[in-house]
Amino acid sequence: MRFRAPGEHEAEERTWAVVRRAYAEREPVAWPRRHARPLVAAAVVGAVIAAALSPPGRSVVRSLRESVGIERAEPALFSLPSPGQLLVTSRRGAWLVHRDGSKRLLGHYRDASFSPHGLFVAATRANQLVVLDPKGGVRWTLARPGPRFPAWTGSRTDTRIAYVAGGRLRVVAGDGTGDRVIGRAAPVAPAWRPGPGRVLAYSDGRQAVVVETDSGAVLLRTAEPPAKLAWSDDGRLLLAFRPFGLRVYDRRGRVVLQDDPSDVTHDSDAAFAPGTGELMVIRVHGLQSDVFAGRSGQTVYRGTGVFDQLAFSPNGRWLLVSWPTANQWVFVRAKPRRIVGVARITQQFGRSAHIADWCCA
Amino acid sequence: MAGSGRDERAWVGRAQAGSASDFEALFRAHWGPAYRAAYLVVRDAAAAEDIAQEAFLAAVRALDRFDRRRPFGPWLHRIVVNRAIDWSRARALRPEAEQVDAPAPERPEHDDELLRELGRLSPEHRAVIVLRYLLDYTPGEIAELLELPRGTVNSRLRRGLDSLKERLE
Repeated sequence: MRFRAPGEHEAEERTWAVVRRAYAEREPVAWPRRHARPLVAAAVVGAVIAAALSPPGRSVVRSLRESVGIERAEPALFSLPSPGQLLVTSRRGAWLVHRDGSKRLLGHYRDASFSPHGLFVAATRANQLVVLDPKGGVRWTLARPGPRFPAWTGSRTDTRIAYVAGGRLRVVAGDGTGDRVIGRAAPVAPAWRPGPGRVLAYSDGRQAVVVETDSGAVLLRTAEPPAKLAWSDDGRLLLAFRPFGLRVYDRRGRVVLQDDPSDVTHDSDAAFAPGTGELMVIRVHGLQSDVFAGRSGQTVYRGTGVFDQLAFSPNGRWLLVSWPTANQWVFVRAKPRRIVGVARITQQFGRSAHIADWCCA
Repeated sequence: MAGSGRDERAWVGRAQAGSASDFEALFRAHWGPAYRAAYLVVRDAAAAEDIAQEAFLAAVRALDRFDRRRPFGPWLHRIVVNRAIDWSRARALRPEAEQVDAPAPERPEHDDELLRELGRLSPEHRAVIVLRYLLDYTPGEIAELLELPRGTVNSRLRRGLDSLKERLE
């Protein structure tokens, strides 16, 4: 098909002016570091092979973790760098971590989420949605088949919990009454839009749907099924995350930011910074992971191995990066720059530790 | 025309190192196909320019993380076509919001007719036809680009072409 689109040359020159400026303003990775990557990769691959082939493989894996993590990491989570409480889930259950580093195993729960003011925790186990107080005391339960992903919204007097059970999105009042089905849902955590109204984003398996839960009015349907949904804290932007194609939508459903990783790379997580709406993204490429700002592309943290999760402190100043390859968490503050590493995450929380919520300064 | 695979890898590598002239070579080689593909899916020159521009800005942002062993074109075209489909779907929900461009007057008449009928297909059908016949991707490559089963690509191509043929006859 021989074809030239209207205004092609003029559009090319206008775009080149914009793109050239963006290229000039970018901060390229220093040459030595880029050339060092294959060497680091080769070293990591070599260590993994050695671990697989030799009898003392476990110790090699341990030394590999030490070589890819932060050298001077704290041996335990002595405190959180920012006000608020952290909810962590793992194979051992749900943990509540206080600012001073003290932590409580709430019980053998699969998912956990804070109430809007952090006074209670909604959690799930085999066939129950459970609401707990901070000491792990059960306030009420609701029996439903395989409930997952509780998400809580509302004021001090009127709250709702959304969750997925039996392939359906359901919403129940914060006191456990009035449970009802909203629609068909995929196993993806729903996300309440901050602000007035009870507006919820969820995945129906084919696309992300934004629905006003009281009226049932559908406000937005996106193009692709998301693996994660999140709102900016002003409720203006919706993140529909997929490892191979991330989209941020405004309230009119326009894509205002997108990231399409090149082949053999993928994004493993993304999160909005409270207060600014800036999106931070983890890109995994080969044996390296970067955390970068979605709009500027500027890398804010980089390491060998896989980063798998991001979480912002409630005040937006600290970014928590989960680094399972190193068995570490890394707290990153942008200004003034500060990095705090915490080692031995598996030993402290159990396997498959996942940051479920960081709430309420 | 896009450069050869070797040219392209060299441009990407040198652009990563900071060579503005190599980055410009990469841009110039890919602008035309990207803009035309966007235009044929969205049928709106301003939107096509925005979409292609955003794809190149994404390329700038991702440049350091780009895997040089892989071709640049398919990655860029995936961004362009997916975003063009998103834009077309959003516009379909707000038909009053934007106007479709009139065809450029200097084009031959049969192209006008073909483009008009192409514009009547769904964005999904338009996208696979543009990728196949403008950008010369194979159905297998289109399936990878759009993360669709190959059978879906083939059926969209078949239905799209059948529909065009019916309308043009």
